[in-house]
Amino acid sequence: MSSPEIMNKIVEAEKEGRQILDQTSKEISELKRDVPNRIASMRQDILQKATKRRESALADAEKTGAEEAKRISLESKKQLDSISRIPSAKRRQAVDRAIELLLS
Amino acid sequence: MSGGLDKLVDDIVRESRTRAEEIRKDGLAQVEDRIAGARAEATREADQITRNLRTECEAVVNRRVSQEKQKARLAYLAEKNRILSDVMKDVQARLLEFCRNDSSYRPFLLKSIAQGIDAIPSDRVKVALSEKDIRRYKGTKLLTDALSTMDTTKTAVLSELPLETTGGAVVASEDDKVRVDCTLEARLELTKPQLLAEISKILFPS
Repeated sequence: MSSPEIMNKIVEAEKEGRQILDQTSKEISELKRDVPNRIASMRQDILQKATKRRESALADAEKTGAEEAKRISLESKKQLDSISRIPSAKRRQAVDRAIELLLS
Repeated sequence: MSGGLDKLVDDIVRESRTRAEEIRKDGLAQVEDRIAGARAEATREADQITRNLRTECEAVVNRRVSQEKQKARLAYLAEKNRILSDVMKDVQARLLEFCRNDSSYRPFLLKSIAQGIDAIPSDRVKVALSEKDIRRYKGTKLLTDALSTMDTTKTAVLSELPLETTGGAVVASEDDKVRVDCTLEARLELTKPQLLAEISKILFPS
């Protein structure tokens, strides 16, 4: 093999080596370029899940509050019914006591 | 010679591959680091969103409960006031009956007049009654009887001007500068807080 052929083989090998390095650098650059998108997507996913958890918990709390409010409302209605049905004897007793105080 | 050249060529290519592998490893590590950092930050923010969730939920429940309790309380107070107002109407109706019954009303009127006379720092006083009472008691010994219940030298005359009242009297000094209101309305107004408290105690024992 002549010297120029040897040199040519070496140059070809170095060229292939550079191509391998260039290809790898290109792949990594593309990966890095895509990082902001990947981060944004991941971030949105994490925050969306947290927001959904919060909304769901608040909706449950609203439901619990509404149920409790309904119970209080029923209790209040019973109490109102109960004070509205004052026996006439008791009412008379109250009027008697008021007259007694007023005229004493 | 050819074997040595092939080895050289292989070495050049292998070295490039090795270097490329290092570049790939470093690059991937950097990418993973940035993503891991961003994930940690997003997770911190997500934690912040849910950190006070329990307190927020409790506040939501408490707000609904306290709104309903307030509503119930107002409804209870409104009903209680309605009942008390009805009972006070009954009291007023009973007072009208009381004033129509001379045997019970006259002693009360005498006492009211005596209290009024006693409170006026004047020797001569005027006693004003309702038109109905003036008609009923004019010419009777009402004022004499009232004075006789007291240890006093005061004199009293019946005013000709009628009062707008259910019962009772207004006693005034002769110059009208001092007046004592002993009407049932005045008593009712004066004792209203006490009456309402007593009525409530009977009707709504807690």
